[in-house]
Amino acid sequence: MLINVENLKLSLNGVSILQDVQLHVAPNQIYGLIGPNGAGKSTTIAVVLGLYAADSGKLELFGKATEKTSADVRRRIGVMPEHAGFYDWMSACDYLAWHANLYGGPRRAIPELLAQVGLEQAGRCPIGRFSQGMRQRLALARALAHGPELLILDEPTNGLDPRGRREIHDLFLSLAREQGVGILLCTHLLDDVDRLCSRIGIIHHGCTVLEGPLAELLGRHGAGGVYRLRLDNVPDAGAMPKEMEMEDRGNGWWCVRLPTDTNPADLWQRLLEHGWRIREIRAEGGGLEDLYIRMTHAAVESRQEGTV
Amino acid sequence: MRMFLIIATAMVGSLVQAASLSVRLSPDAENPTMPTMGDNMRFHSVITATAEEPVDGVVAWISLVEIDPGREQPVDLEDWSAHKAVSAARLEPGEELETTWPMRLIQDGDYRVVVSVTARNQDAVFASSTVQFHVTRKPVVESRRIFPVAIGLPVLLLGMLGYRRWHVGHFMRPSAKGFRGHR
Amino acid sequence: MSNPIGLIAAKERRALLENQRGLAWLLAFSATLSAFALLLVSNTELSLLDNAQVVYLMVGTVTAAGAVIAVILGSDAFAGERERGTLVPLLTAPITPAQLLTGKAAGLLAAWGVMYVLALPYLWAVGAGGQNLLQAVVYLALFGTPVVLGFGYMAMTLSAWTGGVMTSLVGSLIALLFSIGPLFLDPSLRDSAVGRALDMVNPFAGAINTYDAVIVDSETFSPQLPRLALVVIWLGLMLLAARHAARKPCFR
Repeated sequence: MLINVENLKLSLNGVSILQDVQLHVAPNQIYGLIGPNGAGKSTTIAVVLGLYAADSGKLELFGKATEKTSADVRRRIGVMPEHAGFYDWMSACDYLAWHANLYGGPRRAIPELLAQVGLEQAGRCPIGRFSQGMRQRLALARALAHGPELLILDEPTNGLDPRGRREIHDLFLSLAREQGVGILLCTHLLDDVDRLCSRIGIIHHGCTVLEGPLAELLGRHGAGGVYRLRLDNVPDAGAMPKEMEMEDRGNGWWCVRLPTDTNPADLWQRLLEHGWRIREIRAEGGGLEDLYIRMTHAAVESRQEGTV
Repeated sequence: MRMFLIIATAMVGSLVQAASLSVRLSPDAENPTMPTMGDNMRFHSVITATAEEPVDGVVAWISLVEIDPGREQPVDLEDWSAHKAVSAARLEPGEELETTWPMRLIQDGDYRVVVSVTARNQDAVFASSTVQFHVTRKPVVESRRIFPVAIGLPVLLLGMLGYRRWHVGHFMRPSAKGFRGHR
Repeated sequence: MSNPIGLIAAKERRALLENQRGLAWLLAFSATLSAFALLLVSNTELSLLDNAQVVYLMVGTVTAAGAVIAVILGSDAFAGERERGTLVPLLTAPITPAQLLTGKAAGLLAAWGVMYVLALPYLWAVGAGGQNLLQAVVYLALFGTPVVLGFGYMAMTLSAWTGGVMTSLVGSLIALLFSIGPLFLDPSLRDSAVGRALDMVNPFAGAINTYDAVIVDSETFSPQLPRLALVVIWLGLMLLAARHAARKPCFR
């Protein structure tokens, strides 16, 4: 496990910020940490990075317990903070080289790194002339420069256009699947989490209200919801499971509504066994967004009832 | 003979009138014995009305003369002293007017200082005896060293600043292309 | 592997010398000394000062300017990084707080070094042909450096604690003014018991009084030892404060 956090507690200036946080990030995995503003996401990341010392709880990085995040551990972590700051008078090349040297040197040539994030034309330009999107790309390059095993990214797609977002998603997936990098992704954008993350943690008022594999959580908590299925064959009305409602949307697309206690994965499996030829499944409404809203609302109610 | 006596009496009378004011000048006891540039000195004058009638509208002033060979000239007291003259509305017979004259020694050289006095109802100017003093030169800042440094260094830095501005402004606006390197 | 202290110091040095803002500060410093030097030849009163007096004044001016620059750079050390968004990347890099602080201090020393070198031609211009010019150059380094560095550490302490450049700068400048202010008092007031007590704890006064003693009065080194101890102790205390603050700087 790259990050193993259990029962983390933290108070700052007498105010309880984190009360019970769990976080488990493995190699080859993209973990989505989501929660409302002020829930404690950034504070959790700060504790993981050693910027705050937790009051109690377990924190392990790369399998070793750490009270303080040592220099050796930091060398294996790449960080992309929410607000990307640089020295505007430096060129992108110079800055990346300088920053990578703090970690012992860049793992590959700086021009190659800049090309990976789409800044190959801007290497010699002062950073002060960069747009917001370019600064975001440069921040990612900074995090990648020393070849980390673990990436901690706070709102990494801020300021990127849809095409840029898609490209950065593909880069993250490539890093996780092909290079074995573990990624802790802290974001508000549930679409990003849906697309990228295999495991999520929902944090609210300093507590982890839900944590685990995304598909399992969606199934277990019956996010229910609405799906669009693209089918190669028109299903026989008699062969349709009773619990689902289907509506023909044309061109092979069907809109399917599931009750909240139905595990979609089980249902798709049953349909396949009954000879349905499903080409594509897309979640529409419900899904992660529903789950998120329900879990954070439930957490608020529990808190108000004094059960948290 | 009689005419001679009349003329002589008139001359003596005029002499008596011209001697109605006397002035003495002396240096202050605490003046530096070997004054140098920048030192302060003081001189004291005593003006006495010696006539039997009062003297109205008395004005006295201090003068400084440089007497270095080849540089003999009166000195403008603008930087040397702010106290250049003194006046009195009336001096009764036998009354004295004491004045202190401060002076800052601005330039090296040999000098003589004198105090002169006249009055509204006097034709003559009465002068004190002179006080002579020598001002020694001391090493001070020389302008020929100052100007090249004081002007040259800022100009050099300005040039560096200008070059830096040009160097930065020489770059084209940066552009970004998409992400690469993913499969 | 590159030394983190050297990397941070190099960045600070580049920010001062290669950045336009840094060059502008040096230009302002040079212009100040130039204005002073030109006054010396154009103003009658000042032109009467002998070389030793002028050198003493200029050395004091350089030290004061160095302390001001140290306060400005020190205030930016942590709070400026935070406001620029570059503090978290530094704190999460594999460098210790002590290394970060030392790198910042090394950058500040480089700035002071440049100011010192820039001041040398001015000192030559006003002091050549007079007395104790060499002593002035040596004592400016010996006393000016710990005073300037001490004020820099003081500003870094406030910078790390407060997280705000303006707050840190104002606080540091007020402290600097308190240090410089008594020197404008009439010598008779400074000769009082209170004045002497203030001089005993005021590092800036320690430096200025040393310059006076050595350059104008031609004193030797040994009478300056108590004041040297004062400025060194001042430097040590400020260093300790800065190290303590740098362990947990305000970063959010």
